[in-house]
Amino acid sequence: MAQSLLRLGSRRALLTSRAVQLTPVAGYHAREKVGNRDIVGFGHNGEPTYEDRPDYPCPAVRFHENSADVLTMREREKGGWKELSLDDKRAIYRASFCQTFSEMQARNTGEWKSVAAGTLLGITLALWLTIWMKKFVYEEMPTSATSDVWKEKSLKRVIDQQQGIIEGLASNWDYEKKQWKE
Amino acid sequence: MLRNVITKLSQPARSLIQQNISRGAAASLARGYSSKAHETDEEFDRRYEAYFNRPDIDGWEIRKGINDLCGHDLVPEPQIISAALRACRRVNDYALAVRVVEAMKNKCGNKEKEIYPWLLQEIRPTLDELGINTPEELGYDKPELWLEDVHDIH
Repeated sequence: MAQSLLRLGSRRALLTSRAVQLTPVAGYHAREKVGNRDIVGFGHNGEPTYEDRPDYPCPAVRFHENSADVLTMREREKGGWKELSLDDKRAIYRASFCQTFSEMQARNTGEWKSVAAGTLLGITLALWLTIWMKKFVYEEMPTSATSDVWKEKSLKRVIDQQQGIIEGLASNWDYEKKQWKE
Repeated sequence: MLRNVITKLSQPARSLIQQNISRGAAASLARGYSSKAHETDEEFDRRYEAYFNRPDIDGWEIRKGINDLCGHDLVPEPQIISAALRACRRVNDYALAVRVVEAMKNKCGNKEKEIYPWLLQEIRPTLDELGINTPEELGYDKPELWLEDVHDIH
């Protein structure tokens, strides 16, 4: 600690009067995660993170670490860009960026299939549950609803009482001919 | 889940659905909504063009400039885009140049079919001079790779 302070002190003596940063590397907390990548910009909030966002097109760090081939690419970039092949250009792009705009903004095609499948599965389960309820939970229907004899007598009562004589059930009964109207 | 929703909501809010077409050369009087001095369209254009035309600009400043430019509700003038592309050439960053073109295409919003061809036509001299390919020429106008959405937390 004291040694580093001493070194700083001697460096300060050599500097001119201009205000200069002593250490080129700012202390940032994400050093391990950033690794060998270049920090190239402010990003969306100043943190050295990578994010593909359409509203902040230029992230703060390059996507890939500076490996040997990336560095050779970088050297070739310094020359004329017309000499680079399309594959080179694509490799350069992918070294700096994870997704292109069209990939960022593509709807995840195929997701609707799993949503539809899940919905239909849920409906199926509900229907099976209904069948089980009818079979094992509910009691038998009363005779007033199931017995044919009861239902016929009930209908005869409706006609005798002329229920719905204008527009309802009894309006379909022909009272002279004692049968249903055609 | 909430973080996902909030991020997704803030993104279109920032770039706004109704994008204004790039402001023309007609001198429009500033509408003073605030007490601060409001700059005209030409001043805005000149300011950004001068910023990107600085000979000693570095990559950090280009990216900050592009991010700030994309925060405004407008499609930048072709002069500004050309200046940004030449700045990318000075810092030897090809990927950034393509990213700039893609970003400008995105800024056209739902009027992309009207604005983007015109934009390309205006910056075509710069693209040819520097050897920059448009995203279409690189095949990046359609998705090439698939990535699971980082917000899908299963």
